[in-house]
Amino acid sequence: MRKLSMALLLIMCVIVSACGGGNNASSTNGGPSESGAPAGTPAASDSSTTEPVKNEKLIVYTNANSDGRGEWLIEKAKGAGFDIEIVGAGGADLTNRLIAEKNNPIADVVYGLNNMLYENLKKEDVLAKFVPSWAGDVEQGLNDPEGYYHGLVKQAILLGYNPNEFTADTAPKDWTDLYKNNAYKGKYEAPTLLGQNTPRLVVAGILTRFQDPNGDLGISDEGWNEIQQLYDNGVGAVEGEDFYANLASGKTPLGALVSGTLQQKEEQYNVKAGIVSPEIGVPMVVEHAAIINGTKKQATAERFVEWLGSSEVQGDFAAEFNAMPANTKAVEQANESVKELYNSLKPQDFDWAFIADNMDLWAEKIELEIMP
Amino acid sequence: MKTRNLSTRLASINPVSILLYGLIVWFVIAFLIYPNLNIYGEIFFKDGQFTLEAAEKLLSSERAMRSLYNSFILAFSLIITVNVVGITLVLISEYFEIKGAKILRLGYFTTLIYSGVVLVSGYKFVYGEEGFMTKLLVYLFPSFDATWFHGYWAVLFVMTFACTSNHFLFLSNAIRKIDFQTVEAARNMGASTWYILRRVVLPVLKPTIYALTILTFLTGLAATSAPLILGGKEFQTITPMILTFSRSMTSRDLAALLALILGVATLVLLTIMIRFERKGNFMSVSKVKSELVKQKIRSKFGNIAAHILAYGLFVLYIVPVVLIIIFSFTDAASISTATLNLNSFTLNNYIQVFSSMSAFKPYLVSILYAAAASVIVVALALAASRILHRYKNKWALALEYAMLIPWILPSTLIAVGLIVTFNTPKLIIGNTVLVGTVWMLLIAYVIIHIPFTLRMVKASFFSLDSNLEDAARNLGAKPFYTFRKVLLPIILPSTLAVLALNFNGILADYDVTVFLYHPVYQPLGVVIKNSTDAQALADTKALTLVYSVILMIMSSVTLYFVYGRNSRS
Repeated sequence: MRKLSMALLLIMCVIVSACGGGNNASSTNGGPSESGAPAGTPAASDSSTTEPVKNEKLIVYTNANSDGRGEWLIEKAKGAGFDIEIVGAGGADLTNRLIAEKNNPIADVVYGLNNMLYENLKKEDVLAKFVPSWAGDVEQGLNDPEGYYHGLVKQAILLGYNPNEFTADTAPKDWTDLYKNNAYKGKYEAPTLLGQNTPRLVVAGILTRFQDPNGDLGISDEGWNEIQQLYDNGVGAVEGEDFYANLASGKTPLGALVSGTLQQKEEQYNVKAGIVSPEIGVPMVVEHAAIINGTKKQATAERFVEWLGSSEVQGDFAAEFNAMPANTKAVEQANESVKELYNSLKPQDFDWAFIADNMDLWAEKIELEIMP
Repeated sequence: MKTRNLSTRLASINPVSILLYGLIVWFVIAFLIYPNLNIYGEIFFKDGQFTLEAAEKLLSSERAMRSLYNSFILAFSLIITVNVVGITLVLISEYFEIKGAKILRLGYFTTLIYSGVVLVSGYKFVYGEEGFMTKLLVYLFPSFDATWFHGYWAVLFVMTFACTSNHFLFLSNAIRKIDFQTVEAARNMGASTWYILRRVVLPVLKPTIYALTILTFLTGLAATSAPLILGGKEFQTITPMILTFSRSMTSRDLAALLALILGVATLVLLTIMIRFERKGNFMSVSKVKSELVKQKIRSKFGNIAAHILAYGLFVLYIVPVVLIIIFSFTDAASISTATLNLNSFTLNNYIQVFSSMSAFKPYLVSILYAAAASVIVVALALAASRILHRYKNKWALALEYAMLIPWILPSTLIAVGLIVTFNTPKLIIGNTVLVGTVWMLLIAYVIIHIPFTLRMVKASFFSLDSNLEDAARNLGAKPFYTFRKVLLPIILPSTLAVLALNFNGILADYDVTVFLYHPVYQPLGVVIKNSTDAQALADTKALTLVYSVILMIMSSVTLYFVYGRNSRS
């Protein structure tokens, strides 16, 4: 038995020494946050003065690294002399992680999240103020007016329809038509998966039309009534199903689409969805870049953000991944079909701070009181 | 417990085990009690004041109450159906003589290698709106409603068959320990098959069945994918709501409260089971090595019926898996309409997944984490079970309940609790910062798998015959020698099964991993989620299936190496 208990002891000791190891790493690196780099990686220099030559490894958090975008950026950054590690995760998870870590941040830079999530981060003091030189090139009204985050890529949340079931004339003209016009009842996907961003933005796009300081959670009774109808008359989304498949098959021929995925989905399902351009505009989310408050690599992080948002990098990115840059100087390099789509769309006027303050509570109210 | 007995026992403990016990106590306090209470405090006493707002919100929500009710209905239904199906499977494959039992076993094993959304989609390929069975039924009866497969019965059906994996693993181990001579003796005295099952076989299985009942109840309460996908409007359960709320800063209190309700319900059931366990006298375990000989069913009609049942179940189990494997070679359009067409077969999905060398690193990272964590968990559970088995006092009871704490919090919140607690230096872990180290994720995996592991390891401990231990001691064996040479070999099969299950569970975990993983070491679960997320551009439908098939292969290999070879010998 001695062997077994020794083995057990040994395992326990590994845990104990692990903690000790973490301690050593952090103490030699001069700050606990830098234990973000494993004990084995070369420690950054101790000096915390801002020398332009410093080039520590950056920890970059993003939700926009799938489909090779992360690998592309790592390669590209290497070419520009940056050494980055990417932590990829869903937007909401990433935001929660950043807030939980705020007393001792691991990340240096975060990019790819939407306005709503950046507003949450700003509110929790997770972001450091930094205005890059390219901020002025970004389309008017997209950047954070307070200078904490700045736009990279535009994404529009669109109302799409199956072209075999509707024509531009018979399709709804706005989200509100879905539940007001009997022709669409039971034919659209209701935004029930409120853990995801797109359904949340659909809800925000309707609720913000009914802002009322005296109403419940800043929304008038009429607004809540409309949302109730939206859920009552729609078909709930099903986890694991791709909405585009249901649009293509005609099961729910109407629903929300994200502009950046349109082209691939068209190819995968052989159906080109029709797009509605409501008069009020479409929810336009912008993926931004920002620096984390408390990073020990401020200088490098600033240079990285300067580089990341530059029109060259964003232009190359747009051409490679079919994206729509927020940087007006990079728009030229975007693909024709993308430019065409965005020319036909008008961004809906959103008060992001208001939405960010209330979105979680709205989602909670909808989950508890409104969903069937 | 008599004090004299206790003190002599204490005196017999050697320094190594005192140190070992100390470490367990430290681990429990540092990682089970401290961070989890911390997150509860953070949630319920946000501004230094306790509030019942969360409870009010939930009570006034009809949907939340209905979902909670549904969860309990499902959990209690599953206790019955899963036990019935699970015990049937084990009797078919281990106790009765059924032709082709080896192949049947493989079929029944399939639920061990896949789960969650993928498992439910597998069943949807068969019974869903576009499924093969539905198409057949519509062909036979043109008025048949193609959308029939939803609601309570659909969820119960899928989960009943999907949740028998634990039964199959652990009950098979337990049934092999039956003393065959008792069975023979009963038979010679003219006992019927049914009577022997009830009076000889079942009592031996009881500790395991109690433990499995708890797990089944817990699985029912925690049901996510099946109700989400098949529940429809009429049968939604509470866990999806908990998951959504636990990811939102402002709604965390609701998530924690709901998880607490489910956790307390589980603990109540557990307490009842523990009482049963203590009352029971489970000593019919074979002391002499006389292996169980498979019983032939004497009635001809019964025999035929048993074979039909066995093969019917086999088909039920195997078809969804086969369809998932086939569809992983197709594309999104084929998958969503469940149509097979020769033209749509492609290897591109697989090529895409393994296109670069860097694609292999996450597999390595996850395998290492899973191996390390599952070994540590089993070591901890063995040590704790040993304590629980030897000492039946209030401290042992406190230890047992402390180790079940992870059951009262959703795993997302356990992860958040760890970050919030250990992102500043804490004395209890030697004044270090754990957040940002590679150890954080390992510790989280260990924490989350402790309750399940402890339940199963403890159950096999309690089916031990204490005479064996006494005999060894009378022959002069030291306690640890007894443990290693006498007790461990008996509990090893179940322990290894737990090890394999934990390993497989950790391999593709996302919920906890995403909060804690180290930037340089990206685990598999995160990679899978990233490439199959709704936002991803690739053929996410096909990739989901491809990754599932890869995980199935990894799980099968693990099960074979850790467990399969042993059980066959």
